[in-house]
Amino acid sequence: MIDWKLILEVIGILLYATFMGFIFMGIERKAMARIQRRVGPPLYQPIIDTLKLLGKKESISHGFIYDFGPVFALGASIAALLFIPIANFQLFSSNADLIVVAYLLEVPMLGIMLGAMSSGNPFSAVGVQRGLLTMVAMQLPYGLALIALIQHWGTFKLSEIVALQGAQGWSVTVPALLIAMIVFDIVFQAMLGLEPFDIITAPAEISMGPMVEYGGKHAAILFTQHAVQIFAETAFFAVLFLGGASNLLELLIKQIAVLFIAIFVASIYPRFTIDQAAKFFWKWPTILGIIAVLLTV
Amino acid sequence: MSEIGNDGVISYELKEFKLFEPLFKWARKKSLWIVAFCTGCGGIEIPPLATARYDFERFGIMPNPSPRMGDLFLITGYVTPKTLKRIIITYEMMQDPKYILAHGSCPINGGVYWDSYNVVKQLDRYIPVDVAIAGCMPRPEAVMDGIMEMMRRIEDGTADGWKRYRENYEYYRRNQDELFGEGWREKEARRWLAWI
Ligand code: SF4
Repeated sequence: MIDWKLILEVIGILLYATFMGFIFMGIERKAMARIQRRVGPPLYQPIIDTLKLLGKKESISHGFIYDFGPVFALGASIAALLFIPIANFQLFSSNADLIVVAYLLEVPMLGIMLGAMSSGNPFSAVGVQRGLLTMVAMQLPYGLALIALIQHWGTFKLSEIVALQGAQGWSVTVPALLIAMIVFDIVFQAMLGLEPFDIITAPAEISMGPMVEYGGKHAAILFTQHAVQIFAETAFFAVLFLGGASNLLELLIKQIAVLFIAIFVASIYPRFTIDQAAKFFWKWPTILGIIAVLLTV
Repeated sequence: MSEIGNDGVISYELKEFKLFEPLFKWARKKSLWIVAFCTGCGGIEIPPLATARYDFERFGIMPNPSPRMGDLFLITGYVTPKTLKRIIITYEMMQDPKYILAHGSCPINGGVYWDSYNVVKQLDRYIPVDVAIAGCMPRPEAVMDGIMEMMRRIEDGTADGWKRYRENYEYYRRNQDELFGEGWREKEARRWLAWI
């Protein structure tokens, strides 16, 4: 039997997430502009950009894998989104959905890189190499933060984590998990691709890195993917550390709070080089992560 | 996607999405991404435009380092034959619709380099320029005005440089070959990609 309610909810959540993701991207650009004392673009500017990219008259393709990369990335982002308990909707659920979401959020990067590598542009190759190195570097602190969280709450299920936080107070109020949140926030910066870890797309150095060959409709898909991704990542953060949410408005407030921390950090710090980033990830966040894990044992 | 109609005019409108064409036109006007390729003296006029004083991001204009995503190509000053090669290659890399904004007197008629042996006198013979701003060097206000003019033209459909380039490709190609000699593209490509 087809579950019509589930289908409608999935479509609704997807539309909402895409729209809000675009608005988040707009907030990001607007807030950066205000910090630099500029007026900045309107909040819906990313939507206009995506429309324009869709309206391009031609899209150059470099073969099947090149077309497949962005679609793959978009699919992974959507899959991750559907596992996260968004307000009172938990669309899909499994016994260990925390791990599923944590790693589905990393897959889009791989999809983009797959497409980028097949374009044969040297800038893409450099970007992909940097991207993979960043991913390897951030796995360790990322894993440690999640282990601390899982050990404290004793469950892998996101909905149970939300329920436990509702009963015993948010994760951030636990000292060990506060440390874990700091670690997670540093990794989060790299996951969003913001400074100081925007080494992958470093616009002034390697001209957008993996994205250099993408244009037209491919780029529009990548923009949409980024919107869904930003929504999923902020929601994941809110669910893990800020006690989840019982309705969409509460979730939105928490997501925007998380987003603003990322924007403020991004607008203050300059970019790391790739070796500095790897060294940094394996030093401070890792030490903090180990402390957090030891405290929760 | 493009076909020749009964009247011999090439139509580049997407048949399937004809209904959305006004929406796309509006989006194109509101989101011009600049290809950051600054030639000549005018590159220095772009930072004031991008920063707090004249902030062009208000209008959705964003410097974009990759030519594949760009819409607006700024030719910011005199063009030597050596630069012109790169300009043509970058222009052809960009995806339709694309627009060219030429700054200063030099791309129009040579400016102060009118008798120089090594400056391209009239840029419009080699690639189609949509809007040209006179002045040596135009101030950011003038550039802003040029961008506004460009937006107006995109809206009423007269910024059609990319169509002209396709329709009169032989003409532009002949002029380019006259300047650089036949087969310059292959020669240029072989310099960077020795294996082809
Ligand atoms: S018009 Fe004047 S400022 Fe502009 S490139 Fe020519 S000489 Fe330089």
